[in-house]
Amino acid sequence: MELTKNITLGIYLPGETFVHRLDPRTKIIASVILIVLLLFIRSYEAYGIFLIFTAAVIFISGIPPGFALCGLKPMLPVLVLMWIFQLFLYRTPGSDVIFSWWIFSATDTGLHMGNLITLRVLFLFTVTTILTLTTSMVSLTDGLENLLKPLRKIGLPSQELVMTMVIALRFVLILAEELDKIVKAQMARGVAFDRGNFLQKTKKIFPVFLPLFINAFKRAEELIIAMESRSYTGGKGRTKMKTLHLGRVDLAAGLLIFLFSALIVFIIVSIQPQI
Amino acid sequence: MPIEVNGLFHSYKKGTPFEKEVLFDINLTIDDGEFIGIIGPTQSGKTTLAQHFNALFIPRQGRVIVNGANTADKTADLVTLRHNVGYVFQNPDYQLFAPTVGEDIAFGPRNQGLAGEEIEHRVREAMEQVGLDYGTFLGRDIYALSGGQKRRAAIAGVLACHPRILILDDITAGLDPRGRDEILGVIRKLHREQNITIIYISNSMDEVAELAERIVVLDRGRIAFDGTTREIFSHAEQLYAIGLELPEVMVIADRFRELGYSLPPAILSLEEAVDAISTALHEGRVAD
Repeated sequence: MELTKNITLGIYLPGETFVHRLDPRTKIIASVILIVLLLFIRSYEAYGIFLIFTAAVIFISGIPPGFALCGLKPMLPVLVLMWIFQLFLYRTPGSDVIFSWWIFSATDTGLHMGNLITLRVLFLFTVTTILTLTTSMVSLTDGLENLLKPLRKIGLPSQELVMTMVIALRFVLILAEELDKIVKAQMARGVAFDRGNFLQKTKKIFPVFLPLFINAFKRAEELIIAMESRSYTGGKGRTKMKTLHLGRVDLAAGLLIFLFSALIVFIIVSIQPQI
Repeated sequence: MPIEVNGLFHSYKKGTPFEKEVLFDINLTIDDGEFIGIIGPTQSGKTTLAQHFNALFIPRQGRVIVNGANTADKTADLVTLRHNVGYVFQNPDYQLFAPTVGEDIAFGPRNQGLAGEEIEHRVREAMEQVGLDYGTFLGRDIYALSGGQKRRAAIAGVLACHPRILILDDITAGLDPRGRDEILGVIRKLHREQNITIIYISNSMDEVAELAERIVVLDRGRIAFDGTTREIFSHAEQLYAIGLELPEVMVIADRFRELGYSLPPAILSLEEAVDAISTALHEGRVAD
């Protein structure tokens, strides 16, 4: 029993590679660009090129490919369900029926839509995982804060927002560890989480959440006290120990992302989407 | 209901870049009615090893056989096994989850499929065993309990399953001295009166010395020593090298010996020490 094994969100894999050495701002902006591109990609050709690109980044950054993808494992049932829904429910006036069963019928546009959406989620996940795996919490915070700084002028508490987001990310793993302990404590008293039908299994989950939430609140309270006892009063007037610098690697990475985006945009514009 | 461990290895987060080997080639047999202490510095693998005993961890390499059943066997009845091998966790907050003490203690017996009356009987019995008054605490809100009461409730919740082996994972951490003594008294009584096998995990040498008949010392995932309590503490130097210290009573007794008093060998509990020292003081120094 190890629930924390498949969690890659919010985990940092220390390293000294090209990707690790990039300024966090470069990585954040690059990720945002990639995510925006993903929202517009509607053809398999573009996804193919995207796949090559992400695979190359994973290779360069030295992340074991299996580890980068194992975070997807818990999401798999949702992805499959989503694909099935699209397959049967999405249709346009001119779509052909591939096969039908009882009152359901699958169309070719549904199949295409299902594929596209599933691929999109997969890649969104991979891009963000690469970002967090190669960027430490501290530099991620610094980078985000720095990027959001202009928004302070219009009254957005950027520093506080970033801090909250980073803590939330950090808590993913902590909560998973706690969940692991609670599940074990209940298994030790005879709960068989792996037995029974879907409904029975779901019912067994509820007693797990009560201690989880209560412990989470306790932890949050302790964290507040720990932060306040170190004189945290929010973002105003805070200075940085490490200042961020853009270097030659960032220029190279920026160029790469630019070329890649141009290629993807070209494909998006020139290849007619199948729908 | 003996436990047999053969060539057990375990690594945490296997197959990820964070893989860490926790247990190396553990061989161990625990017989019925033993009171065995497992000690070792933090990160030495105590909890991981103990969680193999009740099949919370299933070995990938090596074997764990509890009462003749291999825990890695697909057909093994792990639910029954876990009722027979009770586990009290380090932190009661992870264990207690029902709204009231009574409901929480009833959780195990209910999972065993017992009838209402039998459950009620088990709850009452378990509460009496740990010294929680049935009338006062049955309907008490779990989160209104003090630290010591939570421990008791957690132990009661496990005892209500009628385990034959009881694993106690650092259960005195964070208790005040009186709460600690009371809990240890409960454990001793269970062992004495019902002959339950006790596996007692602790960082405290004093507690283990006082309670256990046999001690297993873990050091970075390996068994460093396995023997009777007296044998173990004769290896003071090696224990110190691992990062463990002798029980305080032994240190005090040694100082008395250095000062020229004659004390019996291997004093393990505070009571023994008090008796021996007062006798020695009464008799005066050997040199005199």
